[in-house]
Amino acid sequence: MSPADLTAELEHLHAAAFGWALSCCGWDRTAAEDVLQASYLKLLDGRARFDGRSSFRTFLLGVIARTAREARRRSALRRWLPLASLVLGPEAVDGRPDPAMALTRADETARLVRALGRLSTRQRQVLHLVFYEDLTIAEAATVAGVSLGTARTHYERGKAALRKLLEGERE
Amino acid sequence: MIERDDHRLRKGFEALRREDAAGTPPFWATVAAARARQAAARGHRALRLAAAVVVAVAAVVVVSTWRERDGIRLDVDLATVRWQAPTDFLLKLPGDELLRSIPQLGLGGLDRRTL
Repeated sequence: MSPADLTAELEHLHAAAFGWALSCCGWDRTAAEDVLQASYLKLLDGRARFDGRSSFRTFLLGVIARTAREARRRSALRRWLPLASLVLGPEAVDGRPDPAMALTRADETARLVRALGRLSTRQRQVLHLVFYEDLTIAEAATVAGVSLGTARTHYERGKAALRKLLEGERE
Repeated sequence: MIERDDHRLRKGFEALRREDAAGTPPFWATVAAARARQAAARGHRALRLAAAVVVAVAAVVVVSTWRERDGIRLDVDLATVRWQAPTDFLLKLPGDELLRSIPQLGLGGLDRRTL
């Protein structure tokens, strides 16, 4: 894929990529922007190469998921080792929803975000990939790095848990 | 019932996607910020490397000063160091001690029975 094609693809999928980065960072906007920038750098510098084994959308979402995981790991290390920030640089992932962003949300979506936040990471990821990104469960499994059977289980259990949480919030 | 619930979930996620899309930073601003971050990171990396070198040099100076003050010196006398390779014996010729010694001429050195 030529650099011009790559940039055009990234621009086309930018909104979806940002939404996925938000989900991976627990709707912390600053952290999501950091993760998205780091992911784009990996792609533009050739550190992450698209080999055509999946769709470009699936590949991009996978790169973002991996980058968010790395950022979370660095963040955890920083919490345990106070001097690690000297080597690792400033904090990127806070893991909490952005208060300003939460204020601008409609009631219904705010409820959905709160309920999603109470699911396990895998369940949240699979539901987000299927309902928000319109991927199949097989594609969601590739992005999340789990087997198809595991993704199906997370999908069914996640849906049931989310329904229960949303009903609980409505009452 | 399940399909209706799925539809409701899908509608909820669609609304979430619309709200997120409204707040998405522009693509080119994201790329520019990423490039700027990369340049800053390079600068920080060089600074961290320089700091690490300074700390290492300072540590070596401090340790060597302490050792000298305590009378411990790390002198290596190269004249006493002799390394012998395991294959040195291959270079040894039969009877080469005769080549290394000075031949003695005269009566004192000769066996009288051969005269």
